[in-house]
Amino acid sequence: MVEATKVKLRPLYQWLDDRMGISALMNSALHEAVPEQGGWAYTLGSATLILIALQIVTGIFLTMMYVPSFHESYQSLHYLQTNDLFGAWVRGMHLWGSYTLMLVIGLHMIRTFMTASYKRPRELNWVSGALLFFVVLGLAITGAMLPGDQAAYWTMTVVTNIPHYIPFIGDYIRWLWRGGKFIGPITFTRTYGIHIWLLPPMLLGLIGLHLYLLRRHGEFGAWVNYDTEGPDPDREIAARIAKVEPPYPSRDVDPKFAAPNRTVDFFPNQVFKDTLVSLLLVAVVFVMALLMGAPLDGPANPATLTYVPTPEWFYLPLDQLLVLGPQTWLIAFVVFVIPGITATLFILLPFIDRSPERNPLRRAHIIVPGLFVIFMMVTLSVLGINRLYNL
Amino acid sequence: MAELSRREMLIGTAVGGGAITLMLAGPVVGFLLSPLFTKRRTETAVIGPIDSVPVNTPTPFIARLNEGDGWNIGPIPRVVYVVKYQQVVGPGQPPPTLLVFSNTCTHMQCDVHWDGTFVGAGDPVLNGRFICPCHGGLYLMNGTNIYGPPPSPLPQWVHEVFTGEDGKTYVRIQNDFTEKI
Ligand code: HEM
Ligand code: FES
Repeated sequence: MVEATKVKLRPLYQWLDDRMGISALMNSALHEAVPEQGGWAYTLGSATLILIALQIVTGIFLTMMYVPSFHESYQSLHYLQTNDLFGAWVRGMHLWGSYTLMLVIGLHMIRTFMTASYKRPRELNWVSGALLFFVVLGLAITGAMLPGDQAAYWTMTVVTNIPHYIPFIGDYIRWLWRGGKFIGPITFTRTYGIHIWLLPPMLLGLIGLHLYLLRRHGEFGAWVNYDTEGPDPDREIAARIAKVEPPYPSRDVDPKFAAPNRTVDFFPNQVFKDTLVSLLLVAVVFVMALLMGAPLDGPANPATLTYVPTPEWFYLPLDQLLVLGPQTWLIAFVVFVIPGITATLFILLPFIDRSPERNPLRRAHIIVPGLFVIFMMVTLSVLGINRLYNL
Repeated sequence: MAELSRREMLIGTAVGGGAITLMLAGPVVGFLLSPLFTKRRTETAVIGPIDSVPVNTPTPFIARLNEGDGWNIGPIPRVVYVVKYQQVVGPGQPPPTLLVFSNTCTHMQCDVHWDGTFVGAGDPVLNGRFICPCHGGLYLMNGTNIYGPPPSPLPQWVHEVFTGEDGKTYVRIQNDFTEKI
């Protein structure tokens, strides 16, 4: 039996391989050197990728029932929740997938920040990653606006109103996003278009760039992979560079960081870890989607006298900044100037922190402000939760 | 075909590419910007009678107003707070002013609601508050923003007051505010 299968499949594979170059493709995709130490921390990037794939798949299936319209958005999702056998589960996976994705992309960012992986020659790995982060945020917030229930309607109202505080052109932007003065039919079609057609292709393009750059420069990993052990570091480093496998040695970098002291093959070592972590995360999404699902409030009611809108958790820091910044100019300051400066510094980090030092303990001038930003986010969220809880 | 110089070829490609880009961008950008140049439909709805609304007590009515932008999606409920506002209560005072508020907060446009339980210090205008649940903005019954993030007073609907066939007082609301918010 085994023999028979072999006889049949081998020539078929050979035929395909001759025409498509599958083996060569697999070889170049899987046979890569990666740093030996810290592999678990390097699983976060591929986990992000898998979660994005999950969002795309579940999202595609949601479009087969969801209607982007003022009234029908709610009706279609209500139908999906109650009448479609697996609708609530798919919708739940899209929601919990997005939450998990944001958590994991945050951890991926924190880890590359801590290990200073963004330094020469990987500056653009960071920049493309930072842009990816903003695209993901944009997807999360436009997604939250779509369900047509109370929560979504008030998110839509508040979020589309934020541009109003941009000096001079703000009101035009608000008008264009809404397609009018208030939330109306065009607000739905536009926001939907942004969520499914504008942002995802940007996401895919940037992911392509991000992974291309990863392959070009090799995984940096962390400082632990670059220590020298013997009495003659220069010689050791030269030997390391001489015998290392592609994609190392990395270009345009201090020789010490051109090649890790020990590498392992991407396949199977890193692939195994990557798969395990992704499996765990997808399982969490799968189970949460079944147990908790995605909430659907009552239908949007612009004339409510009782509903208390609460922002999505990832939006809480900004919402709390809104509470702290009263009156026109201060509002503009807290919603644009503070986050704008933070975002710019964040994107440009590799061009600010340019020393060759990679050890976080010796980069206090960078790590401390970074931790401060994280601390502020957490504090603002806690203040926000406390405020909403006391309403 | 005559030989093209490198310079001519580059200019030609740039002009051609630019023309393609413009032909794509022109209609698309225009399409996106068109809401700015599209006139809103004027829509109206009648609320009332308002004769029994007590003085200095904001009272909510629901107006079912068509949305004025985009295609018609049918009437959308909107809250109208009718306030007969009298600064000094007592005999010999001028009649109350009629204020017709939207419940749209001027901060981020959440729905405010009237809470009459707060008692001010003697001055009737200080009794009660419009409360915004989003970021805790507060307004007085005359619309003044007194606390929290809201940058300007509560907006009023464009409206006209008329007497119905039954002799009672009604208000016709238009789908616009008197102030820009
Ligand atoms: C859609 C989102 C993203 C995807 C799919 C993604 C994917 C990946 C993958 C698969 C890796 C290699 C494995 C690893 O080191 O974890 C990686 C590395 C990297 N990522 Fe991302 N990433 C994303 C977002 C980000 C963000 C938001 C940042 C930072 C702002 C970032 C910065 C980096 C850097 C600097 C590296 C190089 C790490 C090294 O060489 O040590 N990425 N990314
Ligand atoms: S929306 Fe009313 S206080 Fe922010």
